[in-house]
Amino acid sequence: MIIVRPSRFSDLPGIEKLVNESAARLSTLPADRERLGERLDLSSRSFAGDPEIAGKELFLFVLADTENKEILGTSGIECSAGNGAPFYNYRLDELIHSSQALNVYNKVDILYMTHELTGTTRLCSLSIANRYRNTEYFDLLSRSRILFMNLFSERFNTHVIVEIQGVQNSSGASPFWESLGRHFFQMDFATADYYSNVKSKTMIAELMPPQPIYVPLLSSEAQAVISQPHAEAENNCRFLYKEGFKLSRYVDIFDGGPTLEAQRADLLTSTAMHTKQAKLTDHATGLNYLVGNTRVEDFRVGISKTAEGLGDVVRLQSAAAEAIGVDEGDSIACVAL
Amino acid sequence: MMLIRPIRDDDLDRLVTLASQAGVGVTTLPVNRDLLAQRIDESQRAFAKELPPEHAYYLFALEDTGIQQIVGVSAIKARVGLDEVWYNYRVSTTVNASKELGIHVQTPTLYLSNDMTNCTEICTLFLAKEYRNGHNGRMLSKSRFLFIADFAELFSTKIFAEMRGYSEEDGHSPFWENLGQRFFGFEFKKADYLTGIGNKAFIAELMPKYPIYIPFFDRHTQEIIGQVHPQTKPALAMLEREGFNYNGMVDIFDAGPLVESFVPNIRAIRESVKRHTMVSQQAAELESDLGDNPLLVSNRSFSDFRLALVNAGQVRSDSVILSEELLGKLGLESGDLVRTVPLRTPR
Repeated sequence: MIIVRPSRFSDLPGIEKLVNESAARLSTLPADRERLGERLDLSSRSFAGDPEIAGKELFLFVLADTENKEILGTSGIECSAGNGAPFYNYRLDELIHSSQALNVYNKVDILYMTHELTGTTRLCSLSIANRYRNTEYFDLLSRSRILFMNLFSERFNTHVIVEIQGVQNSSGASPFWESLGRHFFQMDFATADYYSNVKSKTMIAELMPPQPIYVPLLSSEAQAVISQPHAEAENNCRFLYKEGFKLSRYVDIFDGGPTLEAQRADLLTSTAMHTKQAKLTDHATGLNYLVGNTRVEDFRVGISKTAEGLGDVVRLQSAAAEAIGVDEGDSIACVAL
Repeated sequence: MMLIRPIRDDDLDRLVTLASQAGVGVTTLPVNRDLLAQRIDESQRAFAKELPPEHAYYLFALEDTGIQQIVGVSAIKARVGLDEVWYNYRVSTTVNASKELGIHVQTPTLYLSNDMTNCTEICTLFLAKEYRNGHNGRMLSKSRFLFIADFAELFSTKIFAEMRGYSEEDGHSPFWENLGQRFFGFEFKKADYLTGIGNKAFIAELMPKYPIYIPFFDRHTQEIIGQVHPQTKPALAMLEREGFNYNGMVDIFDAGPLVESFVPNIRAIRESVKRHTMVSQQAAELESDLGDNPLLVSNRSFSDFRLALVNAGQVRSDSVILSEELLGKLGLESGDLVRTVPLRTPR
């Protein structure tokens, strides 16, 4: 069976393989082995509730095949964007330049550097093996995080964001970076991105110009990609919109990619999920549901056919129950796929 | 004979003709008869001391006394930025550095500024094409310094000039197209005209208020910031020889440079000498051929300011010999004190 569970240090080779095969860039999941190891360690300590990392928790999940142990995907939740440091975005705003005397009325787009999203909860690190990309396992991988956030809501901010990778051209250059960041760093996007992974994004952000940026002064290519997702990220965007995320006014300071935002309680998964008692059966019929146990360190979510009634009990296929470590009478979180 | 004097009502027709010759770029000479009439009126009231000195605008005319017509103008605005807000861009630097990343990037940045407020501007210099020879241009420009020399208390210590910025041969201003036009949607010509008819503050208020990072412009535009129009190069060189220097400010529309100097440092003021006039028969002949480096002679009058050129040979250590005719044109009597200075620095 394929389930979602917390990542473990021993998943490192599997995740590394997955990340290296992925076309999309994941600044939160570096390909560098040492950095990846640090992330996994941070995640384990977060699940374990280590007080030393309070405010910097990162919960990393993997999509894993319980039979052959293969790692098929990753997803993450960063409790508090910025992790104690300022979290940088540009806020796309507009100014009206008008004069009655001259009969002029112009709307000018402008980007303001902001820390407004610092401390929000950020979904991150989503990657999935190509062959599972358009399957229900994508939903399992992504939505398990929302189940987790709702089960343990005191650990997370109610304001949830997702940063979507911005547009890159065929040679990997970011038109937004070429027109903006590049002038201040004199390095290409890949190099800056590398530094922001191995050093810190905040450190790079602090080198960006602090003054607002008038959009009409950027190249037309750069203007065109502001708040546009990378082609590889379009699927994910569609999924997130369906889940209830909205396009925000914030864009990434490097590649101009969009930030989606939502109040956790408004998300489809949040409103549709229930916590009930498991009743095991070998002949469950009905619709596919995401079903998860309600434990932190041993959190596991799988897919099971079930019919959710009005009562407090839900029938669960035995195989699924075993995969997610649930016995008769245990409480489970469930939501229709 | 060429004579500098305050402009008069009856110069209006001729001023309109001059303005239409000037075209785009001489912002302070709009082709608009009513406005030019207003300028003349304003100047006359300034010379008549009917205005507080800080609101004075003095418009000088260069007259060819042979045809009794004016052929050029120049002006002094006693203070800028008092009845409207005066804007410039200051060309500044933003440094972006990280030892750890080995980065040190200097980014030239434009800051909107009102720094020139309360300073004296020399402006509105224009000379008819057929008179752009001999000493006329220098005479027209530098006559203002002799006026300031005698009435320095009416002006600020800092004197500046906005030099016409670079534009392409067809009149397009790359700076305007890269900046102003993106915020207005209209052409430089129109902005220039609106400025001339007194709407500069309106336009300035539409300009971007936040600093502008210069690397956002194309290379050519970056290069012409602070550069004068090719036709303005001689005027810039002349002011530089008088002690003016680029002060790091540029015009918000065409990015032309501002040059400034301080009254005691302006060559034509510093080196000017007061001398007594003496009538001499010999003078007329010298006046008919002014030679290489004549002297500016002003009558030191405020309301009836007059200035002419004399041959260097007419100057003694503490006197200057003049013909009866020139003495009359300057409205002086023998023995009166005049202010003199060589038109150019000796080579």
